[in-house]
Amino acid sequence: MKKLLTTVALAFAAATAPALAQDMSPEVQALYDAAKEEGELTWYVAQFSTGLAEDMGAIFTEKYPGVVVNVIRATGQVVYARLAQDVRAGVAQADVFSGSDIGHLHELKKQGQLMEFTPPDADTVREPFKDMQPGFWYATTANPTVMAYNTDQVSAEDAPKNWSDLTDPKWKGVLAVTHPGFSGSAGSWAVLMKKLYGHEFFEGIRDNDPYIGRSMIDPPTVIAAGERGVGIAVFSVAVRNKLAGNPIEIIYPTDGSKLTFGGTAVLANAPHPNAAKLFVNFMLGKEVSELQVKSGLLPVHKDVSPPEGVRSLEEIPLADLTEEEVVEGVQPIIEEWRDVFGG
Amino acid sequence: MTDNVSPIAARGDESPGLVRRLRNLEPSNLLWILLFGVLVVLVVGPIGFLLKVSFQEGGNGAFTFDNYIEAYGRWRYLQALINSCLLGACTAALSVVFAVPMAWAVSRTNMPAKWFAWASVLGAFILPPYLTSIGWILIAGPNSGWLNEGWRWVTGAEAPLFNIYSFFGMVLMIALNAFPFIFLFTKAGLDMISTEMEEAAAILGSPTWYTSLRITLPLVWPSILGGIIIVFLESIALFGVPAILGIPARINLVTTQLFQFFGYPFKMEVAAAYAMPLLLITVSLIYVQRLLLNRKGFVTQTGKGGERRELEIGRWKWALLAWCGFVGALAMYLPGYTMVVASFSEAWGKGLSFSNLTLANYYDILFVSRLTQEAIVNSFYFAGVAAFCALGLALCVAYIVTRGLVPFANVLAFLCMAPFVIPGIVLAIGFYAAYAPPPLSLYGTSAIIIVAFIARFLPISYGTAAAGMRSINPEMEEAVRVLGGGRLTAIRHVVAPLLKKTLFAGFLLVFIPATRELSAAIFLVGPNSRVMSVLIFDMTEEGRFEAVAAIGCIILVTTTFFVWLGFKLVGRDFMMRTNH
Repeated sequence: MKKLLTTVALAFAAATAPALAQDMSPEVQALYDAAKEEGELTWYVAQFSTGLAEDMGAIFTEKYPGVVVNVIRATGQVVYARLAQDVRAGVAQADVFSGSDIGHLHELKKQGQLMEFTPPDADTVREPFKDMQPGFWYATTANPTVMAYNTDQVSAEDAPKNWSDLTDPKWKGVLAVTHPGFSGSAGSWAVLMKKLYGHEFFEGIRDNDPYIGRSMIDPPTVIAAGERGVGIAVFSVAVRNKLAGNPIEIIYPTDGSKLTFGGTAVLANAPHPNAAKLFVNFMLGKEVSELQVKSGLLPVHKDVSPPEGVRSLEEIPLADLTEEEVVEGVQPIIEEWRDVFGG
Repeated sequence: MTDNVSPIAARGDESPGLVRRLRNLEPSNLLWILLFGVLVVLVVGPIGFLLKVSFQEGGNGAFTFDNYIEAYGRWRYLQALINSCLLGACTAALSVVFAVPMAWAVSRTNMPAKWFAWASVLGAFILPPYLTSIGWILIAGPNSGWLNEGWRWVTGAEAPLFNIYSFFGMVLMIALNAFPFIFLFTKAGLDMISTEMEEAAAILGSPTWYTSLRITLPLVWPSILGGIIIVFLESIALFGVPAILGIPARINLVTTQLFQFFGYPFKMEVAAAYAMPLLLITVSLIYVQRLLLNRKGFVTQTGKGGERRELEIGRWKWALLAWCGFVGALAMYLPGYTMVVASFSEAWGKGLSFSNLTLANYYDILFVSRLTQEAIVNSFYFAGVAAFCALGLALCVAYIVTRGLVPFANVLAFLCMAPFVIPGIVLAIGFYAAYAPPPLSLYGTSAIIIVAFIARFLPISYGTAAAGMRSINPEMEEAVRVLGGGRLTAIRHVVAPLLKKTLFAGFLLVFIPATRELSAAIFLVGPNSRVMSVLIFDMTEEGRFEAVAAIGCIILVTTTFFVWLGFKLVGRDFMMRTNH
């Protein structure tokens, strides 16, 4: 039965393929032919919400019929833990890894878990995405961590201006943050906070009795819903909520946002290597960037312009934090956080 | 030279003997060996490996005590243990408050509409605790839940009336789900007491409330305590509620701490060491519970009960009925209703209005998202296979145990019941330790989840199968055999038809909880073997409560259907038995 289905799928794919063949470069065509043989790929992803990741998978299959994407979405630390378990168990399940903590990619590269590969369309990406490790991973998101507030509950004058304002006791019970032990981008945010304000910052946050989300998507969602008044937010989700007409406004902290790059890589022992390569190439393409813009994300492709009504990356003050500081800092900060917050 | 010869000679001596012994084996003995082997894989293996890895260094497998030192060497981890015990105790206490008046009302008084109490109990069973929590987040989220918004609007207060993200929030959620245990135990105890003593007290001038508190209640105290123990154990082993409510509220518990050890850096060995108190507490408390319930010191509990008359309690019966309704509303109607509304909403914050109405959540789940489609199929597929296998295994064991076909059959019965004293989350870690790594490499497969589900629910299957088997008199099978029929003929034409009800009950009693099991699944799921409960847990972190509510409603509707089917096919006592 399964074989029959595959045959039907392949026949269908063959029938629709010629129409697409014109806009495919020979390298991509070769990858696609090999990928069709493999039929599917498994994508461990932390950078996008489940819905967005599934949409990307669906568009990929539309563009490349016969190759299906299995989306496994979790927060940055959880997805990486999953991959680490796979490696330890000696079972290769994932083909493509899209992490939200750049330290994870460094670690994987060090262990030889990443496949060296340059996507055919790598030179179509926008400027800030280019300064990554060539040949191993590609930045697929550049998402600043900012602050946000609910405009029904908090006035613009009252809203916090920089990060340390979040420790003001007036936010007791109305603050929302994210646990760095689960989220990758919260990890590098916490490293920045430690660098800027030291240990006391976390105690100040704790004393404000915050709502602690597991994902960076969580705080802006509860702020938009009115469950909380102010908090940290991942830029894209705050933008998406704002564009949807929810009562949320973005704060660009005067002491600098944390710009988090999310990298995407093919795994060295990927069971479907060609489908994986094709998919990473697809991630850098126009279709994904257009979808990203609709979801408030900054586009990767240079021909797609950023979402309207919000600042572009150049206009957002960014904090100074090196990649090394993030790579070194995340694991200790998780322990420190847990000791301060008790869990 | 001699060193080389002797083993060969020895083998030459031994093998004919072995063959002879094998040839003399009865088929039933072979079956015993087969069943024993299966049960070793299901029960002994996971627990053995759990113990073993807790003394092993991660990576190289060398013997070490470091895991225990790490597991108990940090205040945060000990705090989690204390928190869990506290949670268990508070939950049990609250469950008593919910359940004992209900049980008393149903068993001893003339309260009208007793089915109303039963409906509340059943409702609490139908809604798994993680869904109750999600319903209640929508009701009592500190700022946006309608309960707190209403409270602020009415009183003008700043502080919320009730914050679900709190220790008490967790206690309430678990108690609302677990009080039926105490209800059933207490009611069973009350049903055994004759009214004579109460009447004696009444004749001596004691008011009804005094009699009930001083005479009736102490008599059923062992039953209540038995229920308390079960609720305590359920609470400390639960994963869903602590993860959904405890993490945002910054309350660390044993189960969420175990989950943390399964994160990065991955410390399965420490998790195994850290799971030991959970295992030891469960084993010893179940032992205490058995002692309590088997105690024959209460001569009034003669098994049959004497004459029983319903107490006339006047207007109080309405108060009791209201209480049953109140508990039912908290446990089932309120969260269930809120969840249904949210599942049909575009944005749950906007409340109930025509413009907010949508079918998109269901459409996405059932027809668009591959993730949810697969999870729904997986849930039913795993539950079905697990229930089928557990029942088959339990029937074989029950048959040879009750018919005494082989010596040492009781070993099999013991192994079948053993998972009862292993918390689901501990069992899952044991399965991970035993079968995820090579040589079996079941890591991330459907097989490891199905096998874990079989082990987890085997005691339920065995309880049902053994009860059914005991009810069949062996004379009927003997008659078949006297007339020349073989044992298999007897089983097919006599035992199987008589057991039809037992088979249905045994299947459904495992199938229903297995479709929604979270604690045992969370550590074992792989990319292609995710189930609905795990998906719900993953989705709560994105705040997609409308979609979560829609999956919850699917669980709710299917569970209700299968419970209804159970009542239809099996009868009124389906799911309501106290003998586990």
